[in-house]
Amino acid sequence: MNAFDGATTVLGIVVGAYAAEITNQLWIISSGLGAALAMGLSGFAGAYMTEEAERTVSLKSLEKSMLSDLSNSVVGEASRFASFWTGIVDGVSPSVSAVVCLLPFILSFYGIFPMYLAIQLSIVVGLSLMFLLGVFLGRVSDRNVILHGVKTLCVGLVLTFVLLIFKLAK
Amino acid sequence: MYLSRSTMLRRLVLDVLKPHNPSVVELSQALSKLKGIEGVNIITYEIDQKVENVKIIIGGQKIDFEIVKKRLEDFGAVVHSVDEVAAGKRIIEEVRTPQDRSARL
Repeated sequence: MNAFDGATTVLGIVVGAYAAEITNQLWIISSGLGAALAMGLSGFAGAYMTEEAERTVSLKSLEKSMLSDLSNSVVGEASRFASFWTGIVDGVSPSVSAVVCLLPFILSFYGIFPMYLAIQLSIVVGLSLMFLLGVFLGRVSDRNVILHGVKTLCVGLVLTFVLLIFKLAK
Repeated sequence: MYLSRSTMLRRLVLDVLKPHNPSVVELSQALSKLKGIEGVNIITYEIDQKVENVKIIIGGQKIDFEIVKKRLEDFGAVVHSVDEVAAGKRIIEEVRTPQDRSARL
């Protein structure tokens, strides 16, 4: 679900930049990439340290029951492996979704299409990602996929409308 | 007396304490892949909150106890006791003697 954070943050940056009438692609790309990097590092460090701490407690408790050191066994290895890869997934997913949302601006920067289209495309990509993440959540929890897609989409729509209201209020 | 590694262990019955994961299925598959082992049987006879006690019966032509023990330790398991060992060219089954309580009953 960290990919949701990435999409939401970049959507906020894009709509905020549109509300502030920023027309320079590089500013949006730089802020978006900065946020993507920060979310990636924060996602990795936060998830890794939390997982590692929780799994160490669990391993120590198991070692107490077994009266033996399990750090060199597959149980210890599995614990380290899971902590590391949870960190990687939690770090990479928001960065990837953020970069995907920024792609229209990168293409616009190279003159493939105009800025106004990049803003619209980026918003559409961000909202679509949110919807797809909701669909995925609905699928893994074996519930209504459309309903879950619409729920997560609503978060993005609320964010977009709030920022657009700021633009209208200016 | 020096016991050569080439001495043929034909059957091992072990009392083992192990975590719930890896499961007995994974453990049996890992043990059965070891050299000299032809078959493995694992029976769970006690389950606690975090660990379980299992009886492992291993049969083969040339079982290396140290390798079996090492593999079990790799899986986080501990050998509590070696309950039966059969070695040599032929497996000798347990026999009842008049001294056995069960034989007297």
